[in-house]
Amino acid sequence: MKRPRPLLTARRLALCCLGFAALLLVALAIGISFGSGEVSLTDLWSKGLSERHQAILFQIRFPRVLVAALLGGALSIAGVSFQALLRNPLADPYVLGVSGGASIGGVIALTLIELPRLAAWIPQPLIVPLFAFAGALGALVLIERIATVGGQLTVYTVLLTGAIFNAFSAAMIYFIQSLASLEELHAIVFHLMGRVREMEIGWVGLLAVAILIPATLLVSHGRAFNALSTGEEGATQLGVDTERLKRRTFVLGALLTGIAVSMAGLIGFVGLVVPHLLRLWFGPDHRLLLPLSFLGGAAFLVLADTLARVLTAPNELPVGVVTALVGGPFFLLLLRRRGASHGF
Amino acid sequence: MTGQVRAWTCIPALALAAFTGCGTAEPAPKPNGTPQRVVVFAPSAAEALVALGLADRVVAIGSHGPWPGEFAALESAGSFDRPDLEGILELECDLVLTTASVAASIGHQRLERLGVAVETLDTSTFEGVFTSLARLGVLFKREDRAAELAAEMRDGLERVRVATADLPPKKVLFVVGRDPLFVAGPGSHVDELIRLGAGINVAHDAASPYQQFSVEAVLERLPEVIVDTSGDAEYWDRWPFLPAVRNDSVYRVEPSVLVIPGIRLPEMAQAMAELIHPGTFAQPTDE
Repeated sequence: MKRPRPLLTARRLALCCLGFAALLLVALAIGISFGSGEVSLTDLWSKGLSERHQAILFQIRFPRVLVAALLGGALSIAGVSFQALLRNPLADPYVLGVSGGASIGGVIALTLIELPRLAAWIPQPLIVPLFAFAGALGALVLIERIATVGGQLTVYTVLLTGAIFNAFSAAMIYFIQSLASLEELHAIVFHLMGRVREMEIGWVGLLAVAILIPATLLVSHGRAFNALSTGEEGATQLGVDTERLKRRTFVLGALLTGIAVSMAGLIGFVGLVVPHLLRLWFGPDHRLLLPLSFLGGAAFLVLADTLARVLTAPNELPVGVVTALVGGPFFLLLLRRRGASHGF
Repeated sequence: MTGQVRAWTCIPALALAAFTGCGTAEPAPKPNGTPQRVVVFAPSAAEALVALGLADRVVAIGSHGPWPGEFAALESAGSFDRPDLEGILELECDLVLTTASVAASIGHQRLERLGVAVETLDTSTFEGVFTSLARLGVLFKREDRAAELAAEMRDGLERVRVATADLPPKKVLFVVGRDPLFVAGPGSHVDELIRLGAGINVAHDAASPYQQFSVEAVLERLPEVIVDTSGDAEYWDRWPFLPAVRNDSVYRVEPSVLVIPGIRLPEMAQAMAELIHPGTFAQPTDE
């Protein structure tokens, strides 16, 4: 067993992270500058910015690009962590089945709960995400229990439990849909479709805390993930408590996925394409891959959401459509050109 | 042995014969050739039937209302896009009145193959409402009454048009759903109602009659009147610079009042005009 060679110097790590942070800033600036309204970031320096343009810039676009960045980062880092945990290139944030639980929770809130009555207790825009997140947590606990065999979380049982739980949730959602009214069906479709929703800036702060803490914890596991890529036995020999690592990764990644699905439905491709792209460009070292995935995923989703807002304005596309349409072909192209040297 | 085999093979053939026999060779009794037992999936058609004095012909309704009060006790025949075929056959109805929709067309074809006449009415526009009313008149041999009703409706709409003709047009947003925001665009009867009430639909460039619309575009276009049927009209209060909010012109309206077009179009037009230009009809208008 050879230890992964420390190709990565502190200097390279810092440079790459700074570069990607700059990329994210550019993406955020682009996101704030474009939309269906005719106002851009550069108008900030012109005098007499009208009230509506201030509202568009600060109350609509600014929170929205931040939400897109946080969700993109969360999905992407969850994806790269699950790929390391399961040692499977096909793993994405939804592979564990937690997204299924979040979907069921959201759909239940949209159909079975009388929203106006609850709105007296909880702010209305938060009801559906809260139910979805409760669904995600429920699924997380359930799947962790089922997938733990003999005190151990094995890759094989985690994958199978996730797949079966996802199939089960899809069936549950079809069941609820077949009983739902036309208006409820409409709401369900738009809830699950994968779109960045409007949010007030105060809630964005809360979302940032909820996402940045688990993401930072995952970033700190880079060295252990590198060890895990040599196999569980190898990692144990290198002094990694693999059982604890797997359990932590499972919980942190599932939390991030649960938050993302609760807020935005199922946005595909970010958690799959961004980590693989970065792996192609920067190699398989997780100490670099984890932070870059967060920053890169954030920038990717901000740009995708900007396209979603602009392409068919004043209509908006679901951002999941854009991530798949743009991300899919681009990734395949790169895989064709660089695939031979692609060491997973 | 062979006899037994033959007897078995006969059964499907017999069943088929019996089946096709039911579908074609047994016309429902129709005094003076008009439909007697009608299933209605379109609320607008139900309203028209009541106005034509044909309410007693309706034997079942769809699961998506709102329905005129006299139909409240009737049984449901499924939703318009998934009609309950067995239930409809059971009722021995001779006409199904419904709205055109792609989702429903398979169900309609099956009904027709089973021998039930299906009439699809398009009431999504003003012209569609008038065409549908005339069509119902022909189907039920009440052409005169239908023409009378149509004339009354045209008069009513004309009165609204005259009353609002000289008023300065206002920019209007009509909200049908929230999260995401859905608005009424061109091609909807709402768009025509807005125009008739001396309003300009701010969603004039929406690509379909009811379309998802970005909030940013609403802020950019500064609507002077917002009619909100989504149940969450308070949402707009967060944008105090919108003329509609500043001038207290955000109205929360029940969907049934303005959303389902039909013979109540004149009342709808008057209600819409009154929302856009309050006071237009406040003073007694009769001469």
